[in-house]
Amino acid sequence: MKFKKALVVLTDMTDQSVIEEIVQLCRKFKSKLYVLFVLEPKKVTRLSRMTRRSNDGVHKELSEQGWQLLYLVEDEAVENSVWTSLHMEEGILVSTVKKFAESYAIDCVYTRRSDETKRLFISCPAPIIGL
Amino acid sequence: MAFKISEFLKPKAIIMDIKSKEKLEAIKELVDHMVAKKFVKNGEEFLKALAKRENLESTGIGNGIAIPHARTDSVEDVLLAFARSPQGVDFSSIDGKPSYLIFLIASPDNKKSEYIMTLAKISRLLRKQNVRDKLMNAGSSDEVMTIIKQNEE
Repeated sequence: MKFKKALVVLTDMTDQSVIEEIVQLCRKFKSKLYVLFVLEPKKVTRLSRMTRRSNDGVHKELSEQGWQLLYLVEDEAVENSVWTSLHMEEGILVSTVKKFAESYAIDCVYTRRSDETKRLFISCPAPIIGL
Repeated sequence: MAFKISEFLKPKAIIMDIKSKEKLEAIKELVDHMVAKKFVKNGEEFLKALAKRENLESTGIGNGIAIPHARTDSVEDVLLAFARSPQGVDFSSIDGKPSYLIFLIASPDNKKSEYIMTLAKISRLLRKQNVRDKLMNAGSSDEVMTIIKQNEE
């Protein structure tokens, strides 16, 4: 099975070692790598309540973190001559990933295995590789 | 101390109306401008690094924005440059639309974290419609500087 189009779903648990592994896999399979960070409004509200900070402040922090992760993946991918496309979306993780995977005809999805991402394993239209 | 992207943008690094209509020409026009203003030591090397990245991904992020960027030792510090294109330049953006606001970001190899933060902050800033509108209507490079300073958080 050729993974021509791979999607990596980033979360705040994604670290450099996972990024490196994913890029190497894309390099091995000559995959185009779509990089997606989903900012969930429910998560913003929850964190805002827990930390007693404004919604705007939490939104700003999470979206900046998301962009930083996106560009970290891109930087690693460019070093390894892997084609990338960066995407920042707001919405519910599961439905956003499903819609994205269908729109771009994704062949496989990479993500860091965590409580947050285990919901993806059930509903995603493409096979998921948890790292 | 808060990280401010406006510290990396100088009035001399702003082109209010870029002439080029094609992506690599537009990037070259910006790079040549940066070399002429002595922000970049080796324009050829910088252009090569930018072109390599352009071949591997679209730096057109949609909504009329492009952010070509590269790490290169042709600059001594993180550098932010801006150009506006009234007719738009095709950067193969994810939404299929031309780019009218072009932010060029360069960084030496040893400043990766500042580089990533600058990219992240500018990407986030430009998601705001009102900021994009103000930049499209700005009348001078000083006004561009003011818009960035007032809207970055």
